[in-house]
Parts: sequence; structure tokens; C-alpha cells
Amino acid sequence: MTNLLEAHSLHTFIGQFHILEGVDLEVPEGSITVLLGRNGAGKTTTLKTLLGLTPPRRGKVLFAGQEIQGRQSFDIASMGIGFVPEHRAIFRDLTVEENLKIAERRKGDFGRKADLIFGLFPDLKRLIHLSGANLSGGQQQMLSVARALVPDNRLLLIDEPSEGLAPVIIEQMMKAIRELSAETTVLLVEQNFLVASQLAERYVIIEEGQSVKQGLMADLAGDKATIHRYLGAA
Amino acid sequence: MNDLRETLIRNRTRLIVLAVLAFLFISATQGMETDEWMITVLRGLAVGAVTFLVASGLSLILGLMDVLNLAHGEMFMIGAYVGWTIYVRPDTFVDVIPPLALLSVGLALAPLWRFLVARVSVSDRLARLWPWLVLVGAVAVLYLTFARFPIARWDPGVYTESPISYSLALSQGLLTPPAAPGFEGISPLAAMIGTVVGGMLLGLALAGFSARRGLTATARLPGRALAIAGLLLVVGAAVYWTNTPLTEWLFDLNTTYRFFLAMAVATLVGLILGALVEITMIRPLYARPIYQLMITLGLSFIGIEVVRAVWGRPEFTVPKPALFGGSGEGCPAEGLAALLENQCSTVLLFGSRVRTYNEIFIILVGLVVLVAVWLLLQRTRIGMIIRAGVQDREMVEALGINVRRVFTFVFALGVALAALGGILAAPSMGLSPSMGTQLLLLALIALAIGGLTSFPGAAAGAVLVGLLQQFIIKYGQIGIDLPFLAEPFKPSPPLVPASTVLLMVIILLILPQGLFGRAEH
Repeated sequence: MTNLLEAHSLHTFIGQFHILEGVDLEVPEGSITVLLGRNGAGKTTTLKTLLGLTPPRRGKVLFAGQEIQGRQSFDIASMGIGFVPEHRAIFRDLTVEENLKIAERRKGDFGRKADLIFGLFPDLKRLIHLSGANLSGGQQQMLSVARALVPDNRLLLIDEPSEGLAPVIIEQMMKAIRELSAETTVLLVEQNFLVASQLAERYVIIEEGQSVKQGLMADLAGDKATIHRYLGAA
Repeated sequence: MNDLRETLIRNRTRLIVLAVLAFLFISATQGMETDEWMITVLRGLAVGAVTFLVASGLSLILGLMDVLNLAHGEMFMIGAYVGWTIYVRPDTFVDVIPPLALLSVGLALAPLWRFLVARVSVSDRLARLWPWLVLVGAVAVLYLTFARFPIARWDPGVYTESPISYSLALSQGLLTPPAAPGFEGISPLAAMIGTVVGGMLLGLALAGFSARRGLTATARLPGRALAIAGLLLVVGAAVYWTNTPLTEWLFDLNTTYRFFLAMAVATLVGLILGALVEITMIRPLYARPIYQLMITLGLSFIGIEVVRAVWGRPEFTVPKPALFGGSGEGCPAEGLAALLENQCSTVLLFGSRVRTYNEIFIILVGLVVLVAVWLLLQRTRIGMIIRAGVQDREMVEALGINVRRVFTFVFALGVALAALGGILAAPSMGLSPSMGTQLLLLALIALAIGGLTSFPGAAAGAVLVGLLQQFIIKYGQIGIDLPFLAEPFKPSPPLVPASTVLLMVIILLILPQGLFGRAEH
């Protein structure tokens, strides 16, 4: 399996704060990889650094074999990376339909993907003309993932898809992510270890801005000592 | 049903404020005769329309890129002065096109220069030096050629040659094309070629500077830049060789058409000016918002001084176009058909005279712009990106959209609307170097009332400010009967600006985010 995404010793500063102090990770094509770690370890910053929203000061990011660090984030995104941010970032002044259409990179993207999207999230079809301001948290999360599916993305960066959602919705979300991973590669940040362990094939643990351990999820699940040390009680 | 109730409850403060405003408006109309308050309302709407043209651009720019453009009032003023030039001195306008178009040829080729610079590698010291040498060469060439293009000009220092006299001549129908100056000491062809070469050198020098700043060049040779440069070359040359017939045609044109042309050109100049200002001054400073604010403040002073130097300090009027200037038989017109036939300056409405330009045309243009911009925002992809970007720029960029390009567009659009507002207001307000500052203040108050970054808010705030101002002015003339006062109370003129500020303060105390603004979070 080749790596769709690789990062080598990323260092990122936000203002004067040294947030990432050496993150290495690899995301094999077609897999679901999860970033684990405590609050404030630098998981979200890692996603934003990969996408160029908080550009790295040092280090390399390779996407499909090309170096992409230092490029503008719209440039990086249009190479085929979708982003589902932590707080969903649904555009309140846009309707659900517009929230999906704005993600088009070529005319008609939304039309081509409508069946896929409404297959994964049937609720969205009913809400299509509602304004983004009137959606519940779960609906926003669905829309945010759906938005990342509109263009032909090869990689999805998903930040905390289960945060603040009811268990039923989390189930639905997990099912959707598993289904879409058949077509795209996924890099996920997930605090809920149960969710993470059921979804992901690979893991990367981030601790105080550094990637300290990575490997197969199946191995980690049995390694109580590591889980306890880096993630607290799970 | 439940939704409606919830919306009502959530917006109760806003609804109460709107109800109080409506009540105040109705009671204000009760102190006057019907025809008086109708006219006052029309005047208020006209002031509101002009304010809206400035405020809407200001709010779009503020909303999308967090830039408060303090030079926006001066953009309004420049629109007015540029419009006056096309309207009253079309010969100057025609003279100015060739040198500017030819100079722009080289600048439009910027991608080509970057392409070339990126392909030639020289030693570091030479790379630091050559752009300066080329720049000096460019300035020398332009001084010898570009600066010598003959331009027919007025002279603010001599009364008979001043803008005041030309405006007066136009209003009396006595405007004739002044003698056209010719080239001195240089052949026209040499001047034109020299200007193109100078522009190219200038573009090359700029490319050299930006290469040192590490801007990456495009990999392909850009065909669109070549096409634009070719177009500019053709336009420059064509206007030069048709200068005399073009000037005569413009002078013979009906003033109505010439005024519409002036409005179009002023808008276009605003568009270009806005794009240039954003690309060269605002864009490098997005990381330093305070510097952006200072730059726009500085630009506003520069704008005022440029206007004083070119058009002179004294105020002057702009004659109304023929369509709105008639006063002969059949005027004031009764009904629309009579109005269009006799081209009256006034029309009878509600039994009194209403000025067609000041109180009808301005409002109509304001409405057209309101609808056009609203459609742009709601029905086009770029409008969708603007609305999304106002809320979350980072996410728009993460979707793969080049937000910077949208920034340039919005800044240019905002300045163009202000410039249109300038020439639109000119025939009713007159021209003066301080007109921009006054209007900026009004627009800022309108913005604060409407909710800073809300487009409908800008419109509502502008109309409120306009109405309040005009009602206070009217009551200053006729007086208000207030209880416990023997004499009717007459608000004095200084109360006019004070009243709008007071309205803003009261509304912001009750609704800190303005009438249509969203709470900050």
C-alpha cells in the first residue's frame, strides 16, 4: 500500500507558541487513520498544518508524492483534500443546498454526488432549503461531512466527528465514514477511543506536539499500558 | 407556527425598536401638511440612496476582509470629480486615455515579466541591483515621453478657465470645445512608443522586486495577459488617432447621454482604482490590520490633496442633464408622459413640485443598485462565496477557493459603487474637496445603525439617517409644536448632524449589534 499522505518532522508556530514540535505521520491510501492524544496535544493543529491553514515553519508534507508545504491552502485543498473542521463551520447565511454547492470545484459536482450524499445522510434531502443557521448539531455535522464529499477528494481530514452528538447520531456518523472510506482515504481526529478503535485501521498518537507512536489499531487495542499512558483511562 | 413564535420572541428587542421608529416617523409626519412630508420623505430617501451607495461598499469590505476603508468617502469624491470631467470637459477625458492605456500595456504584461525573471538566473548582488536600474530607466523614459502627452486642461487659478466657469458655460448651453493642444518637442509616434517601452520597463522592474520577495511565477505563458495588453495597445492608439472626431462627437452629444456616460466611466474608474488599491496596498497588510487602517486614512488625505491640486479648492456645481433640466412650457409636468415629453426639472406630485433629478432619479438609481447587488449576493456563485466568507474565510479557503481574488473583486466593487454615488450626487450636492469626508461620516453612522457587516442593514441605516436628517432640516424651517413651550421649537442647523449621531447612540445602547447585525461571538 502506498502512502497518500506523509508528513516529516512538522514544526508549527501559532503566534510565538511552538505548537507542533516534530510530527511524523503516514496515511496509506484507502485506509482510515486516526490521530489520538489528549486535549491540547496538537491534533487539530496537525490537520490545519497539513492543509496549510497554519503553515509549518519546518518540515515536509507530501501528498500523492508532491511536496505541498508552503503552498496556499486553497491550492492544497484543490489538489483533492476535503476538510471537516472541529466546529463544523457551516455557513449560517447559506441554505443547506448552497453549503453543498459552494464546495463545487467543477460545475455540476453537486449533481454528480447527490445520490452518494443523500444515500449516506437521507435527512439532508429533507432540509435542503433550510438555512444553515437552523440546523441542529447533528445535522450540521452531517452537512459538514457531506460538503467535503461534493468535489472529488482523495483525502478527507475529519476533526472530532462525534463531539457533542447523541449516540444514535454517532452510530450514523460512523456508518457513513466507514462507507465513504471505500472510496477515499480518511485522516480522523477522535477523542472517543471506542469510536476510534471501531473505525480506524491505523493510529498515530500525538503528545505535546510530537508524534510519539504509530501503528495498527488492532495492536493498540490490546496494549493497555500505552492507552493508559498517552490517552488516560479509556 | 412555533417557528414564527420563536422568531418573534428571539427578535423582540429589534421589533420593539422598529415599532418605536415607525411610531416616531408617523408622529413626525403629523406635524406637516401632506405634500410637505411627502417631499421631506423623498428628500430623505434621496440622501439615503447616496449614503447607501457609499455604505454598502463599506459594509461588504468590512464584512468580508475586516478592512475599514477610511478612504471610501474620498473614492466617492473622486467618482464625482472624474464624472464631472467626462461630463463637462470630454476633451480632457479623450486626451487622457491614450497615455494611460499605452502605459498600462507594459503593466498588464506583469505575468510575462515574472515568467521571464523566473527563467533567468543571475548572481544575488546583480538580482538586487538590476530592478533599481531598470526602474530608473523606466522613469527617465516616461519623463521624456509619457509626461509630454498634450492634455487639454482647465486652470483652477484663472477664473475664466476654472471648473466653475466651464460648469456655468455648460448650464447655459455655451460650452464649446477649447483649442486642442499638440505635442511639443517630440513626435507623436515617438511619444507613444516611448510610453509603451517605459511601461514595459516599469513592469519588468516591479517583477524584479517581487521575485526578490519570493513570489512564485506561473509556469505557463499567460495568454490572457497578452490579450489584455494587446487590447490596451489598440485602444490607446485608436483613441489617439480619432481624438478630434471623438471629442467633437462627445461635445455634440445630448447632455443626458453624456451624463450617463460619465456615470459609467466614473464607476469603471472606481472599479480599476479599487482593484489597484487592494492589490498594491491592502493585500500585503492583511496580517497587520492597524497598518491597513492607517494606509486608508493616508489615502483619504492624498485623495483630497489630489483633488485640490487638479480641480482647485473652490466648490462648483454640476449642471443637471437635459432630461432633468427643462423648465419651459408644460412644466412642471403632470404625469409621467408629460414629464418624459417636456423633460421637466420638476413634476407635480401630491399637488406640489418635486424635483425630478434630486428627488426621483437619485432614489431610482439607489433602488436599482440595491436590487442588483442583492441579486449578485443571492444568485451568483461569487455572491455565495462572499456571504460565506463574511462568516468564515478560513473555511472558504479550505474548500479550495482562492479568497484573495474575491477580496480584490469586493474591494473594487465597493469603490465602484462609491464612485457611482459621487457622480450621482454631484448635480444635487455640488462638488467640493470636503464632500467625501462628510459622506463617509454619514455612511459610518448608517453602518453602525444597520449592523456593520449586514447588507440590508446598510440600506436600512442609510435610509434612516437620510430621513432623520431631512425631517430635522424641515422642522428647522417650520418648527415643531411641543407641549409646555409657547413658541414652536426650531431645531438649529448644528442639530442636524448631531441628531444622526444621537440616533446611532440610542440604537446601539439598545441593540449593540445594530438593527440587522449578528451578535459577535
